[in-house]
Amino acid sequence: MNKTFIPSQANICEIIHENEQIATFRLELINKSIPFAFLPGQFLMLSIPHCGEAAISISSSPTALPLIDLSIRKAGKLTNAIHTMKAGNQVGIRGPFGKPFPTETFANRDLLFVAGGIGLAPLKSVIDYSLFHSSVEKDAVQSMTLLYGSRTPLDIAFQSTVNNWQKQGVDCRLTVDKTETDWQGNVGLVTDLLPDYKLTDNTTALVCGPPVMIKFVIAQLSAMGCSDEAIFTTLERHMKCGMGTCGHCHLDGKMVCVDGPVFSLSQLKTMDVMEFSQ
Amino acid sequence: MIDLKEMILSKDNLIPLLRKLKKDARLIAPVQNKYGDTLFREIDDIDGTEIDLHNQPQASLKPFFLPQQETLADYTITNGEYSFTPPAKAEDTIFFGVRSCDLTALLYMDLIFSKPSKDPTYYDRRNHSLIITLGCNQPFPNCFCEATGSGPYLEYGYGLQFIDLGDRYFVSAGRGKGADLLKKWAYFFREVNEEDQQKRYQLFLEARGQFTRNIQVAHACRKLEKETVPEEIWEKLSRRCYDCGGCAYVCPTCTCFSIDDMILDAKHGLRIRTWDACTSSGFTRMAGGHNPTDRSRHALKRRFLHKLKYDFERHGKASCTGCGRCIDICFGGVDITTFIDLLTTQTQKKP
Amino acid sequence: MTNSIAELEGADVLLVTGSNTTETHPQIGRNIITAVDHRAKLIVIDPRRTDIAKEAHIHLALRPGTDIALINAMMRIILDENLADDLFISMRTENFIALRDYLHRLDLNELATITGINRDTIHEAACLYARSSKSVICYCLGVTQHTCGTDNVQAVANLAMLTGNVEKKHSGVDPLRGQNNVQGACDMAALPAVLPGYQNLADIDVQERFQTVWGRKTPQIPGKSLTEMTHAGEDGDIKAMFIMGENPVLSDPHLNRVENTLKHLPFLAVSDIFLTETARLAHVVFPAASFAEKNGTITNSERRVQLCPRAIPPIHNCRPDSKIIMELGRRLNCPGMNFDTEAEIMEEISLLTPIYGGMHYDRLAKNWGLQWPCWNRDHPGTEFLHKYYFARGKGCFTITKHQEPYETPEEKYPFTLVTGRGSYHHYHTATMTRKSRRLVREYPEALLEVNKEDSDKLKLRDGETVELASRRGTVHIKTTITDRVQPGTVFSSFHFFEVPINQLTIDAMDPKSKCPEFKVCSVNLRKVKHD
Repeated sequence: MNKTFIPSQANICEIIHENEQIATFRLELINKSIPFAFLPGQFLMLSIPHCGEAAISISSSPTALPLIDLSIRKAGKLTNAIHTMKAGNQVGIRGPFGKPFPTETFANRDLLFVAGGIGLAPLKSVIDYSLFHSSVEKDAVQSMTLLYGSRTPLDIAFQSTVNNWQKQGVDCRLTVDKTETDWQGNVGLVTDLLPDYKLTDNTTALVCGPPVMIKFVIAQLSAMGCSDEAIFTTLERHMKCGMGTCGHCHLDGKMVCVDGPVFSLSQLKTMDVMEFSQ
Repeated sequence: MIDLKEMILSKDNLIPLLRKLKKDARLIAPVQNKYGDTLFREIDDIDGTEIDLHNQPQASLKPFFLPQQETLADYTITNGEYSFTPPAKAEDTIFFGVRSCDLTALLYMDLIFSKPSKDPTYYDRRNHSLIITLGCNQPFPNCFCEATGSGPYLEYGYGLQFIDLGDRYFVSAGRGKGADLLKKWAYFFREVNEEDQQKRYQLFLEARGQFTRNIQVAHACRKLEKETVPEEIWEKLSRRCYDCGGCAYVCPTCTCFSIDDMILDAKHGLRIRTWDACTSSGFTRMAGGHNPTDRSRHALKRRFLHKLKYDFERHGKASCTGCGRCIDICFGGVDITTFIDLLTTQTQKKP
Repeated sequence: MTNSIAELEGADVLLVTGSNTTETHPQIGRNIITAVDHRAKLIVIDPRRTDIAKEAHIHLALRPGTDIALINAMMRIILDENLADDLFISMRTENFIALRDYLHRLDLNELATITGINRDTIHEAACLYARSSKSVICYCLGVTQHTCGTDNVQAVANLAMLTGNVEKKHSGVDPLRGQNNVQGACDMAALPAVLPGYQNLADIDVQERFQTVWGRKTPQIPGKSLTEMTHAGEDGDIKAMFIMGENPVLSDPHLNRVENTLKHLPFLAVSDIFLTETARLAHVVFPAASFAEKNGTITNSERRVQLCPRAIPPIHNCRPDSKIIMELGRRLNCPGMNFDTEAEIMEEISLLTPIYGGMHYDRLAKNWGLQWPCWNRDHPGTEFLHKYYFARGKGCFTITKHQEPYETPEEKYPFTLVTGRGSYHHYHTATMTRKSRRLVREYPEALLEVNKEDSDKLKLRDGETVELASRRGTVHIKTTITDRVQPGTVFSSFHFFEVPINQLTIDAMDPKSKCPEFKVCSVNLRKVKHD
């Protein structure tokens, strides 16, 4: 595990275009003797020459190692630059960093995933990881449901992945904010899908998406009776070091890069978090 | 066998001692330049340079351990391959004439840069350093180190601590390198007698009595432990913060930094670490434009809570060392003492 | 400034008009805020709710371009309330009766309507200003960059003289200079109609004196103003131009005309520290040394001449401006251009410029420089002006009448565009500040301030890009929804070459100062994309 400022080199072995803005970059470390392990929810610092670094959550399952997927949306300088790169190009990575989702507590639970846009990336790692474990051990999880919101039908990312999940028994329900095409599915915000979900005491909810979405989904889950300890989200922040030193990701006395990015609602409630303030 | 922990150095022997020390290491001490600014700098010519022990150095030791800009690695891109080279190693350095507050700050930085693992460049420099402090017999006008527990004299942390007794220095040695030095150069020193001890104690009491500022640091920390700060205070402070970053740059305990690539040419560049300031809005703004901190209201919230609340919770001690530098640099007049005053006077009003 | 900057802290009432002081003059802003902390009262006249307006006890958010109406109303109220300083008026001024009679003919309700401010608020501000004997007025480009800019300044002067708030410490009229050495440039006659030290071009004695030292006849007729030069068009009578440290291709109004003029010049030379948009059009570019690479003096707003010693040697082939000028002079066979040091140049300045008479390098090196007028070596400099007399003798009241801006909103262009500096992160056309990674991070792109009421009407989201058009040009610009601007008014800066806001601004100018009306033009706002 790389905990210095010197990145390890990795090759882009494959690029999967998820939609116009998002692509998944499949990486493999060049020096295979470097020990590398992670858990779903952790992130990497990705280096692109001349563009610096950015924190990107890992979207593949640890079970897919040595391959590491980073699903990246074009947002700033670095993320735009990687979208111009090709398979065979080299990037640098440091990490993994951060606290993962508590996958060890998911046995026999009903997992509810609520995602918006690129927010599906960190949850994808959990879903793949849980599917793998269900295939080898009984009761790894009880059930999995995905509620996934996109802006328009054209913005839906991870289409083929979602189709595969559907085949493997994950209950995937998609919605779009608005449509101008012949979209047959749901139209509306992802929160509109929540009332149809049968929430029980056995539900663990994992939420990731834009800050406003997280806020409303969490509020609604709480209103439906989901306990604070059973709601998890992963926060996005400006990050530079990944090791709790640079200070950019500060969150009321905590550092998102070491104390998060995964937080339970009960943890968030003890903090002063912009996403949830009025 | 004499006790090597505490010794007396005649002022006549100061330069001879420093001359010896300089043979094995870089010597850095405060020097006043021709514009009247006292700054730490390397002493090349010990006879031709006057070390200024009368004025407070305008900058702390921070730039020597966490430089304003430093290279973390240089990188080369060859045929699409991307390789990094770490920077050169630090040299042995002795810092002389360091004030108590600045050493306290350095001890705090040691904590910050030790997690989760030791920051390579910081600890490289730190391991090659020895700090000789000078206790303050006369606090400077903006100082309040007594309120922050970081002066005027120190109990630990130094290599050597000098206390000016007039014609001589009372020298205390810390563990390790400091004690070794004292042993190695013992012939410059003499033993401490009862009168020296008396004088040192007397000066310590006098120094403590000479602070002109009464800043309620401990009161503020305890208040922040229990209560949330009224939004009006944050808003008032934010309106007056000019976002110049000056407070963070002169602060000896502000360690936030940024990492960027500096392009040298198409194939070469430097990965550089630069000081950053949490008062600026770009500090937290993300690539997509979303910003979890609203600068117009909370420009200074993180700065003051970090020093007085989070660090108090974590280390039992505020990470302000009372050096007073931010008071002079802030042109909005919203330095940490303004905040502490606003916070603590508010309590007194409320029954 | 008639005062010194530090005097502001001792004032009882500060009237800040047309200045976003805390952002554009942070140092002076600090003095004003300190005064407020010391219980001074602050009145801010500004159409925008700037940060300093938020600190004000009274914020007079006038309709852009109605300063004269507002100040006339204040003066009328001061007369009605018997708050005028009769002694000062009789001893130190002339032409008061004419002003008084004019003010008495004005209808206060009408004036209030013109400005868009409640009459009671104006009354409160007027009384506050007049009742204190330590009232100071700070003004900036919000007052001068109008077609009636000179009259605006005159109105401000009338107000100060009417209440006797000029001749003493802590009270006066303080124009805040926009750039670090713009005061020095004006002092050294970078103005069309004067010789250094504001000496009259037509004065025979002055002419002779300069001729003796310079060995050449000085110009007999005034030159052209900046806008006259840069807007001369393709067949203007200027054949060659030398531009130093200016970027008129972005900073002047009605940019298409500026570019057209410069592109058709038979010869253009530019000297600057970076290759600016203007320098790109030049036939010859002189790489100039920055402030840190040269010795010299800088004269600030409070008339203080300060020594600025060189910190590093010039990088590569850059040369200090003085060296560039001397070399040009040498090649043009201009006599007396062989100065060895900057101190020697200063000696000639002292010789020819009475107000700089006692400014020598050895004196300037001590105590943060000297404030002009400083007549001779023994003179300590002048803390505040007009103590016993005005430059012209008695202060003259001149009647100023409200006039509408050149352009007023109409159906096709219903919004008023105000331009100015966007924040303290960028300076002017950002040729320097955009070289700093940190400053760019803090303020990455041009923003148009739009009031929420307007954005709701136009169904704009915060951050949406709009098309902003005036009769002269169109730009695309990102919006920010804010209460800093009033409904019907939008604001933007001119820092970003990608959004050359001055393609929109008008080249109508004040007939006397030739200062263009950057502060008011009519524009339209249109949504660009629909989603």
